[in-house]
Amino acid sequence: MFRLLKIRGHSLFPDFREGDFVVIARFPFPAGQIRAGDVIVFDQPGYEHMIKRVQQVLDDGRAFEVRGTQIDSTDSRNFGPVSKRHITGKVIWHIRQK
Amino acid sequence: MFHKLAQKIDQIKPVETVEAHCDIPCGIYDPHQAIIGALTVIRMVDLMEKLVETHSGEKVEFHNSMARYVSVKEEHAELTKHEIRVIWGDFIKDAHVEQYPQLHGLVHKIMQLGSKARQTTDRETALALLDAVNEFAEIFWQIKGKETKRVKAPYSVSEEIVVPDL
Repeated sequence: MFRLLKIRGHSLFPDFREGDFVVIARFPFPAGQIRAGDVIVFDQPGYEHMIKRVQQVLDDGRAFEVRGTQIDSTDSRNFGPVSKRHITGKVIWHIRQK
Repeated sequence: MFHKLAQKIDQIKPVETVEAHCDIPCGIYDPHQAIIGALTVIRMVDLMEKLVETHSGEKVEFHNSMARYVSVKEEHAELTKHEIRVIWGDFIKDAHVEQYPQLHGLVHKIMQLGSKARQTTDRETALALLDAVNEFAEIFWQIKGKETKRVKAPYSVSEEIVVPDL
């Protein structure tokens, strides 16, 4: 139900830094749906296992526009909305470096 | 404390990583390689023409040299296309296209000229490829907020190239 993951990359800097850990609740989530502002982990076809922040919920929660924080972040501007079926989980605990 | 604990867990049994990446290397885009590729295509066409005009030695040497020029021309025309595709696909966003509506058409033109430069030995095509890549470079650096200038390339091919005025 829960999974520990380590962040690689700078697309969500300064909110999330490379080397931070996150705990995700695996889909389907025990509580609540995905909302704008949530950070999700997903497997976008053609890309790697990715983590991004939800900017907008589309199509009654069946797809999500996601963004990084950097101008050159690889996100929905590159690959379009993320389908619900590609979502692995939602971040419920961000374990920051000191 | 929790981060140290997570690190310990990671040391004992490596934790799966999740990518928060920009394009790698993060934030480093530059059309310079595309310009070098286009210049090389021009240079190869020049060398091919010169070889045809001047060669009077062994046929096998002629074919060896010509094959090498053709190979390098192919490679660098493709390199030019590849470099432009990466910037276009990974760096250029919708907002940039709204600001520079000619971008998609320009990239398509570079793709076509790159292919034509591979198919032919037409110097005018090679020059048109460089011209289009220079235009792309100017837009790229404008997006990055950098002034550009045109300088004579300091190589055997001394066509004008666009460089950022850093």
